[in-house]
Amino acid sequence: MKPVIFLGAGALFGFLLSQARATDFAAIHGMFRLTDLHLFGVIGVAVATAAAGLALLRRGPKTALSGEAISVKPKPVHKGIFAGGLVFGVGWALSGACPGTALAQLGEGKLYALATAAGILVGTWLRQRASAPAANPARSA
Amino acid sequence: METWPFWLAGLGIGAFVPLFALTTGKALGISSGYSEMCALTRPAGAERWKLWFALGLPLGGLLATLLRSGGVQLATSSTDMAQALRLDGAAQLVLLALAGGFIGYGARTAGGCTSGHSIVGLAQGAKSSLIATLGFMAGGFAATWIAVLLAGGLQ
Repeated sequence: MKPVIFLGAGALFGFLLSQARATDFAAIHGMFRLTDLHLFGVIGVAVATAAAGLALLRRGPKTALSGEAISVKPKPVHKGIFAGGLVFGVGWALSGACPGTALAQLGEGKLYALATAAGILVGTWLRQRASAPAANPARSA
Repeated sequence: METWPFWLAGLGIGAFVPLFALTTGKALGISSGYSEMCALTRPAGAERWKLWFALGLPLGGLLATLLRSGGVQLATSSTDMAQALRLDGAAQLVLLALAGGFIGYGARTAGGCTSGHSIVGLAQGAKSSLIATLGFMAGGFAATWIAVLLAGGLQ
């Protein structure tokens, strides 16, 4: 599929995150302080809706409109999921952002989210470098 | 336009998942889009779509803000963060960058983020995503309460 389709889908999702206040530091802080339960409600309704939609989809076509096979599968359980989750959660709470909302925040005019997004990029790179196979052509080049 | 109530926002985000799968065949995921940004010097592979998706997100944030009352106002610091954590200016940017590092490192360790695990994964009843989401929540609660106490206690 063409990049512009994915650009448009990303824009739609960014719009939804913004309308959900998932880009709002106060909403995330309030969720963890238990003073604003709005985002718990958003996540709960989203999971239930997505579950119903995916169940319907399983009874429908095997092929997407793009011609590709529909491939939505559970991620495997591996070591470090909970520990990685804890580290992620600390960053989520302190920044008021996650990987998607940091980018949506930038579009909202919250320029300070550049620091968050840059941090996410560096953290991603560090983690991948730590687990990269020894024979990495990019490194020997 | 205003921001949406929780049920409408939840319906929108939830419906996006199967519709995106029906259109593209793919499962929504965002944190791995940052891996694609790290791999820009390599030839485009099967995951390049994640980069385009990630680049679309700011456009959506901009559109939503333009349609809301108040419009777009550029901000170099967060007043909410200043109020909650008593941090401003450069200290705020340092904390945001550090927290971002935790997000990226943690997402790659856990194999996904709040979209891939907590929405798409939980919707499939995946055990891995339940473990990850419990980690996200536990880390978030702990960090919030410790930060609030360090910032001078409960107001």
